[in-house]
Amino acid sequence: MNDNIALAHTSQDIEGLWSALNAGELDSCLAYLSQADRTDEPDAALECRLAEALLHEGRREEAVECCRRALPRVAGDVAMLQICAWVFSNCRCHEAAASAYRGLLALCPDWAEGYRHLSGSLAALGRAEEAIAAALDAASLTPDDSAALVYAAELLMAAGRIDEAAGLLGGAADTAAEPRLLRVLSAAEMLRDRLPAALAAIDRALAEAPDNAEYHAHRGHLLWQLGDIAGGAAALAWAAALDPGNREVQRAQLSLYLAAGLVSEATAAGGALLQRFPDDKPAAEAVLHLLAHRLDTIDGEYVVLSGAAERPPRPLRPPPGWLDRWRGQRRVIGALIIRETRTRFPDLKLGYGWALIEPVLHITLLSATFAVLMRGQPPIGRHFFIFYYTGLIPYLMFVHTSSGMCHAITGNGAVLQLPPVTTFDVVAARGLLEIMTDIVVAAVLLAGFNAIGLAALPDDLWQPAMALLAIAALGCGCGFINAVITVFWRSWEKGYAQLARVLYFISGIFYVPGMMPDWAREVLAWNPLLQAIDWFRAGFFANYQPHWLDRSYVVVLAILALLAGFGLERSLRRRLSVPL
Amino acid sequence: MITLDKVAKAYATAAGRKIVLADACAEFAPGHNVGILGANGAGKSTLIRLLAGSEMPDRGTVRRTARVSFPLGFGGTFHPALSGRENVAFVARVYGAAVRPTIRFVEEFAELDQYFDMPVQTYSAGMRARLAFGTCLAIDFDVYLIDEITEIGDERFRRKCVAAFRQRLNSSDIILATHNSHTIQQYCDRGAILADGQLQLFDDVASAFERYRRMLVEPFACHSADA
Repeated sequence: MNDNIALAHTSQDIEGLWSALNAGELDSCLAYLSQADRTDEPDAALECRLAEALLHEGRREEAVECCRRALPRVAGDVAMLQICAWVFSNCRCHEAAASAYRGLLALCPDWAEGYRHLSGSLAALGRAEEAIAAALDAASLTPDDSAALVYAAELLMAAGRIDEAAGLLGGAADTAAEPRLLRVLSAAEMLRDRLPAALAAIDRALAEAPDNAEYHAHRGHLLWQLGDIAGGAAALAWAAALDPGNREVQRAQLSLYLAAGLVSEATAAGGALLQRFPDDKPAAEAVLHLLAHRLDTIDGEYVVLSGAAERPPRPLRPPPGWLDRWRGQRRVIGALIIRETRTRFPDLKLGYGWALIEPVLHITLLSATFAVLMRGQPPIGRHFFIFYYTGLIPYLMFVHTSSGMCHAITGNGAVLQLPPVTTFDVVAARGLLEIMTDIVVAAVLLAGFNAIGLAALPDDLWQPAMALLAIAALGCGCGFINAVITVFWRSWEKGYAQLARVLYFISGIFYVPGMMPDWAREVLAWNPLLQAIDWFRAGFFANYQPHWLDRSYVVVLAILALLAGFGLERSLRRRLSVPL
Repeated sequence: MITLDKVAKAYATAAGRKIVLADACAEFAPGHNVGILGANGAGKSTLIRLLAGSEMPDRGTVRRTARVSFPLGFGGTFHPALSGRENVAFVARVYGAAVRPTIRFVEEFAELDQYFDMPVQTYSAGMRARLAFGTCLAIDFDVYLIDEITEIGDERFRRKCVAAFRQRLNSSDIILATHNSHTIQQYCDRGAILADGQLQLFDDVASAFERYRRMLVEPFACHSADA
């Protein structure tokens, strides 16, 4: 290789380069020809041949480079110009290719293929009008070459000049029955809405080439558009049989059957399509729909309910006024309470009796323990039973109500599916049931104490009743808040149970605040439950009137808790529905 | 009449947020039976529950100037520990219907015999469906909402259902969501399509079907097989 370069340098012997080129030593030729300080004029033909050889090896940039250098010096040489044009167009230098072809055509104006090459380069450049002109020149030079005609027609159609394309093709189709030409003619006729002419053309094409699947598919579309469903389906089936791997044909079959409402055929076509192309999502959806449809209609024992629309419509119901709404709500809450009483203790034979057993055991246990410890004297009154009763009943009412309402919403997902039942209703019903239960329990216990001979009746009935009412309201308010929190945080009830346990010890149930140091009592006096219990006791025992008791504090807190609970439920109502 | 006023509803699924309605407006006029068409997963059931009021919209309002049923045949509200009789009594009380006649109707209709006084959790799926169907039909609603008529029981019971239903249809409207075109053609005189977050209503069933069929075919259209 170095010998050849040396040769070329010293003797400038072009022969040496030719032999190097012929020997395939492209690099050494290239190295010599691209020397910038060269003074001589090497053979342009050599550059062109080198470019040709380079392109064959896939070295496009270098080939183009050679041709660009050679082009100014091959002006009159047809063979070399052809090589340049060929290299340019193959390397996507369409601009250079077009001008090379123009140069060639100036030399030999009857070269039909040259016009087609020029047209191709121009089309690639986006110069549609010039490309069409060149293609028409090519076609007019070789009137018998249908390929040139088809090419020109396709360019015309792409440019939207459908009528010209159809005219061009139609003229040729009268004499020559070339299938490709007829196929494009059919497309042109279809595009200008002359469906019968399009059908005639594709029929002639199929007479020449009966095994072309794409022609059959096109014919199927035409027949479908002409309203011949059966014919269209047959043509598409033919296409599918000829070319089973063609997804488009099978999709066309499916959409034809779907549009025609032929359920069984559509299911079969969709099944075949899915079997071959399992990833075709729209096809899968369509087949799913079809299968559901078939399942529904397989046993068709239906009674036609005609005439239903002729009857006069019912009068509209105006939106309910506040009285109706209140009545409706009372009805719903009532129904819920009845339902709750039946389901509250579903696993216990004792049922509602359990509500009574808990406080009785509690009071008995406390009384027994402290009676031994305190040797017979409670802090107030004469009987331990009564003293603990006055502490426990308000406490239990508050805790039962507020914690019993925790799962009012989460545990009632089913019943909330009934439109008239709102979250407010289920929470309120649960709270009311707890309150009513504890009131009954309090009354029954009181009656029981009297029955066993303990003088248990309160000195003042009004005060304990008001105290219980305030506690019920406070418990209800906290219960509403708990019910809402539990929706978002299911284990809240466990945390609240801890709070209730703490309250058990700081609310003065088994002692009176008067027994405590002043500072401790002043802190504990902020506990509304302690206040409420003392309120209850102050009514029970006329001689127990603690100076720290502030009834209005309990009432205000109860009202605030209720407002907070109602407001929370109301503002979050749309997010409280529990999915089943 | 049920009016949807700019109702928006979406819910979260494993595949992301599923939009059922996006600020949809629609009006169900009284005196017409409407069949709602929609692809599987378009949200037909959610729409029915929104119309019923079982579910709240994210935004917007659903106004009802008629007494609208809960979805026909929906037995999800029954308490499993309560008997059929107690559950029916509860529904009757909630709707302010007379309890005894309602119970008598359901007892006769559902043919549960001694099971009517047993806890619902002991029922088979078919018995539960019969109880739910009977409970809904026992109450006089202006509009019955139906989410997929499911065939329940044997031939004889099915005829009984259709007969009871026909009697109701003499005075009440239905709104029916199904993918079964047959059912809609039998029961409805108006159609609606739920797709892409909008509810489109049509004055007759045929044009709703035509539109729906075209929606089904559109993704396949391949007339570009030319050129």
